[in-house]
Amino acid sequence: MCAAPLTTDSAPASLGPRTGALARRPVSGHRLREAALPYLLIGPTVLVIGVVMGYPMLNLVALSLQHYGLAELLAHQGTWVGLQNYQDILGDALFWQTVARTATFTAVTVAASMFLATLLALLLTRVSSPVKLLLSGGLIFVWATPVVVAIDVWQWMVDFEFGVANWLLTNLHVGSYAHHNWFENPLEGFGVITALVVWGALPFLTITLYAGLAQVPVEIVEAAECDGAGAWQVFWQVTVPIMRPLYLILFSLSTIWNFRLFDQVWIMLNARPSSGFYMLGVYSYVKSFKVDQFGLGATIAVVMVLMLMVATFVYIRGLARSGELDR
Amino acid sequence: MNPRHVARTAAVLALALVAVACGGNTGSSSPSGTLTVWLMNGSAPDSVVSAVNADFKAKYPNVSVKVQIQQWSDVTTKLDTAFAGSTPPDVVELGNTLVAKYAAAGALTNVGPKKSSFENSSTWLQSLTDSCTVNGKLYCVPYYAGSRAVVYRKDMFQKAGVQPPTTMDDWLQTGQKLMDANKADSSFSALYFPGKYWYAALPFIWDAGGDIAAQGGGQWKGTLNSTQSQQGLTTLSKMVGSLSRADKTGDEARQDQAFVQGHIAMLIANGWEIGVITDPKSGDPTLKDKLGVFPIPSHTSGQSAPVFLGGSDLGVAAKGKNQDLANEWVKLLTGTKFQTQMATVGQVIPNTTTLLDTNKDQPLLGTFAAAAKNSKFVPNSPNWANVESANVLPDMLVSIFTGKAPIADASTSASNQVTQILNAKS
Amino acid sequence: MIAIRLRRRHVRRAAFDIVGILAFLALIFPIYWMVATAFKPGRDILRFDPKWFPAPAVLANFADAISRENFWNSVRTSLIVVISVVVISTVVAFLAAVGTARFGFRGRRAFVVMILVVQMIPLTALVIPIYLQLNNLELTDTVGGVIVSYLAFILPFMVWTLRGFVANIPVDLEEAAMVDGCSRMGAFLRIVFPLTAPGLVATGIFALIQAWNEYIVAYVLLSSPNHQTLTVWLAGFTTNHGTDWGPLMAGATLTAVPVVVFFLLVQRHVTSGLTVGAVKG
Repeated sequence: MCAAPLTTDSAPASLGPRTGALARRPVSGHRLREAALPYLLIGPTVLVIGVVMGYPMLNLVALSLQHYGLAELLAHQGTWVGLQNYQDILGDALFWQTVARTATFTAVTVAASMFLATLLALLLTRVSSPVKLLLSGGLIFVWATPVVVAIDVWQWMVDFEFGVANWLLTNLHVGSYAHHNWFENPLEGFGVITALVVWGALPFLTITLYAGLAQVPVEIVEAAECDGAGAWQVFWQVTVPIMRPLYLILFSLSTIWNFRLFDQVWIMLNARPSSGFYMLGVYSYVKSFKVDQFGLGATIAVVMVLMLMVATFVYIRGLARSGELDR
Repeated sequence: MNPRHVARTAAVLALALVAVACGGNTGSSSPSGTLTVWLMNGSAPDSVVSAVNADFKAKYPNVSVKVQIQQWSDVTTKLDTAFAGSTPPDVVELGNTLVAKYAAAGALTNVGPKKSSFENSSTWLQSLTDSCTVNGKLYCVPYYAGSRAVVYRKDMFQKAGVQPPTTMDDWLQTGQKLMDANKADSSFSALYFPGKYWYAALPFIWDAGGDIAAQGGGQWKGTLNSTQSQQGLTTLSKMVGSLSRADKTGDEARQDQAFVQGHIAMLIANGWEIGVITDPKSGDPTLKDKLGVFPIPSHTSGQSAPVFLGGSDLGVAAKGKNQDLANEWVKLLTGTKFQTQMATVGQVIPNTTTLLDTNKDQPLLGTFAAAAKNSKFVPNSPNWANVESANVLPDMLVSIFTGKAPIADASTSASNQVTQILNAKS
Repeated sequence: MIAIRLRRRHVRRAAFDIVGILAFLALIFPIYWMVATAFKPGRDILRFDPKWFPAPAVLANFADAISRENFWNSVRTSLIVVISVVVISTVVAFLAAVGTARFGFRGRRAFVVMILVVQMIPLTALVIPIYLQLNNLELTDTVGGVIVSYLAFILPFMVWTLRGFVANIPVDLEEAAMVDGCSRMGAFLRIVFPLTAPGLVATGIFALIQAWNEYIVAYVLLSSPNHQTLTVWLAGFTTNHGTDWGPLMAGATLTAVPVVVFFLLVQRHVTSGLTVGAVKG
């Protein structure tokens, strides 16, 4: 079982950029066409993103500097108020509560999702083939279920009068949940929403982590086990460092997606969430479409993006440093 | 070719094209084009809409009418974006509490000058007409109304040995007798009252002499915490506490489904909800003979409490390209012929007092129409829609019913919010 | 000695299997409940104590859902939108990924950072500007407008992921092909494209799910009921009369089926695709 110690040759392949891909001089003489080629290739993408998101983005920033109510919306003309909207928003107690709530929710859901996904991925490596098939099949089903459908189902499961979750909890003697409204108390309500979000996020994360685990070279793991490391130590000190880039990507994506959450809150609460349920995305929408203050709604959105950029700044800088951006 | 000739020919051609393009709207020759109409889900029965379109087609054979049904949930988003665009729908049905907002923002055409061309305009329900009036101008045409009364199970009343009450005190006692008679059923509600059902809470406030807000000197002031309003809320809170097992934080959207389950004796409902309760597919048709209706009692004997007059109006979009055709279509649906059908088939209250007695002899619907004669409306301010969006009244009711805040505090906080929102500069 | 070790391993594996099965049941329960509810008659749905297994199972809810106005229109619209988005976005993202991964050019870093930053923008914030812009182009209430909007939201992630795939393919292969006489583009098509196939499938599925799922933009942009997407159509089951749970669950099941089927067909490629692109080494 325990072969001779590994030589350095079979150490895990470098995680740095692959060499040789960069800016090779074209072999032939069509230098101008070759030079234009990358721009042509990224052209369509830039065009679509630029037109559909670029202009609205600029518009969004412009909106955040204007007073833009319903009358202005219909007349396509707002009044410039400079940074007044930003002052209003930053002085709004509800805004900061919402920021705190969004940040907490994101942290909790990302942590829970990654933790459970890791467990599930590890579980997948340890079960027998038929169970592996069953579990992956289940994950695929969950992944393929459209979000709107999932929200409807969960809403039905926690229904005040007929929810099956209420019945189960009551009959398992966890408490009395008959005729219980889960959304009366925002904390409980967010418990349901967290469960829903984590449930929906598990397939993608688990499958990706599982694929990543499969990539960890077996020799390293076995060598560590031979050296006497327990399963836990092997995981922390061998597997995780190798999977670091993958974890980094998944953490960042999860953070971005959960921070922007909208559908789950909105549809679960039948388009009428109380302020205790506001997340930043919801608050922005409410300010725009419910009280017709599109300028303020835009301001919240801009602040959201800035916050996310700061949060993922570490990730982006890490990418730049490791040369990922130059691959 | 002489450039001047070319220019002149081009100009003539251009003028001709413009004339042809614009000619379709003058109505002199047979107009053509497409008329887009937005109606809300569940407002008009399909048969009525088809009949209106048939009549319209007979008059304007070259115009095709596109009726698009919209959902109530999140409709304001759709309305905002539609009115903001350059091709809004020509005719729009708007809930009567939403009109002021859009009218004040310039989304709707002022139909005041043409008012007399609409049938029954002199006898329109006052409350609906008020909902269409902003700054003294008429921005839409009353479409239909809905009022509330109490729907009850005659068989349950018989078993408990009670009669429909005639005063509020009577009502509470009747309810308590029903609760006693059904002690064994842990899901039973004598009066099913979901916490956020503010439309049904208003009669209690109004009957006690209170109101949501009052206008004085151009400013609004919330009056939910006046002595009278608080008294009304106290009465309501007592009734809900002892008679209702409904979700104290839920709204009335699913009360009909709950009623069908058979554990409810009384329900504050709209006229058309009877149709939902007895619907063969999703309801229980066997209940049809077991239902009765009585008006919401007042604390004064011999009267009924003022009810909230819900309903919709029809507006013409200001930026719509077919103003005249839109008016014609609205004329049809709001005219006597189809308003009668709205009352008989749609089971809603028509827009004119002259037709209020259409359903008089209907055992159930007659009571709703009668109740509509004593109705009130919400503060008619362009900012009212924001009060609704901010859920001020539902949240106040929920804190009272769940005991989170005493009535004095909850109503004061709500009053202040109402004052602030109504007086906000848009 | 060995026998005991083997037995211990078997017991451990059995323990893990049990945990695995429990995890499966927990995961799949909501979906089971949706399908079960879809097959129950109305009175079995609105019950205080739930009926675990739909017996008798009826098709009434499905019939109701399908016979609803605009069901087939919505199916058609969703299919058109999704297929267009998947095909177009895969092609465009692949080109951009190749351009970024294989060439150094001025603005490359900026482009990559932009791709990442754009993913942070919340959809709901852009709804109004997008609507107004499409309105100027007369593209509102058209399927084309929705497709273009979805492309903008889906492309960043696809380019980002495909870039990784393309970068993982050794340049030497292309260079060998070019030495053999292929042009640059020919080398891409003959060598890179087939090798990135798993990645293309993986990101294609991602695009499929995003496009099939999306609600708010479709809701705002499409006002005619006869060309809405299925997600918006589903919202119509909740009216101010309450929610029709049976038909809604039936409609939801029908909405989920195409994606599930498609998924099952290509799932093998998904896992291998994600592997190659995500972890280098």
